[in-house]
Amino acid sequence: MVVAFDWSFITENWRELVEGLLRTIEVSAIAIAGAFVIGAVLGAARAHRVPVVSQLAGVYVEVIRNTPILVQIFMLFYALPQIGIRFDAFTVAWLAVMVWGGAFNTENFRAGFEAVPYRYREAGLALGLSRMRTFLNVTLPIGGRIALPSSINTYISVLKNTSLLYVISYPELTTTAFHINNLTLQTVESFTVLAVIYLALVWTLSASIRRVESHLRIPEER
Amino acid sequence: MPELPEWVEPVARYMFEVGLKGTLRIAAFSMAGSAVIGIVLGTLLTIKFLPMRAAIRLYIEVWRGLPIIVTIFIVFFALPAVATQFEFDAFTAATIGLTLWGSAQVAEATRGAVESIPREQHEAAAALGFGWSGRHAFVILPQAFRRLLPPLVSLLVNILQNSTIAQVIGAAELLETGERSVERLTIQTFEIHAFEIYGAVMVVFFLMSFPLTRLAAYLERRLVQ
Repeated sequence: MVVAFDWSFITENWRELVEGLLRTIEVSAIAIAGAFVIGAVLGAARAHRVPVVSQLAGVYVEVIRNTPILVQIFMLFYALPQIGIRFDAFTVAWLAVMVWGGAFNTENFRAGFEAVPYRYREAGLALGLSRMRTFLNVTLPIGGRIALPSSINTYISVLKNTSLLYVISYPELTTTAFHINNLTLQTVESFTVLAVIYLALVWTLSASIRRVESHLRIPEER
Repeated sequence: MPELPEWVEPVARYMFEVGLKGTLRIAAFSMAGSAVIGIVLGTLLTIKFLPMRAAIRLYIEVWRGLPIIVTIFIVFFALPAVATQFEFDAFTAATIGLTLWGSAQVAEATRGAVESIPREQHEAAAALGFGWSGRHAFVILPQAFRRLLPPLVSLLVNILQNSTIAQVIGAAELLETGERSVERLTIQTFEIHAFEIYGAVMVVFFLMSFPLTRLAAYLERRLVQ
């Protein structure tokens, strides 16, 4: 049985879809930027065993990585108001995916910083750089580049995870397509278009990022 | 020991007997399906036959690229609209969605693991008279499996956690039974217990996942040595 694809679906619904897509990109961009900062800071604290911060970061990483992000979203949006902490849907949207991405990124950066040979840092300190300067000028540029491929995978996952914001009815791409489906009953069109947009987004993102990655690769490594 | 509030016992019983069982059912079937399909596709991907490789590549990139919730929506809502024999209940649809995603992950890992086996092993097995399938089934894959084990354990953790996505189409897994309990308590007693119930769901998932992530890390370390 063949179902004809109704192309007028696109001309009639593209405005809403673009709005949804822009919200997906907006939330992803905020969350990715936040996850980068969280990952670099807490990853450094983990790698250099900064007392207290390192242990707290460890607990944060294990809790987030070992519980489903969907339950984390439920917790933020449906459970926290019970104890008096109330966020609007947009805040939960970027916060949930940022906290998730930050935990995975902390691990990515920790591994990256730990892979920087100790003698590089020693050289920095021997040149009279302070510990902070040594971190910013030696460990961060080298370790950050070692961590790049794994952190990129985390950013792509962050983008894909914004689709779960459907459960709090935040009108990003998936929620938008679902509502269009409810109104038009053009199920095949709604979900095909949704899938094609995500694939286009994820594939272009990973392809362009791989190019940046090859530019930033550490030259001495073959 | 302090007495638990009256509402706890029936909710806990429902969530464990129905919810946890549902979660484990989805996870077990998805894991088995992902492993079988993924290992077969990943092994076939090492054959230098372009049309087949292109087809498997496409399969991997599509199901890895799509958010799992979108895949599950496609299976649950869009497939029955194409043909009525593709109408699945929520459990089956979620399991199919997770299997498509998981098998793409396993296929990619298998390809790497099979290609890491030195070609002498292929040659030696061929010299013993094994054909392509015998060579892979009895010589190559058993060796590749050692390398495949850590990613398979990590995948099990991910499948367990992502099985909660079945909640969005109403399959009675742990999160869904939790949500139903919150709603029922709100209607019956006018009390909200979302924090306790979703907190408990988090704890249960943590208790299942944490030992497995430790195990995956241990297997990974042992492999490097």
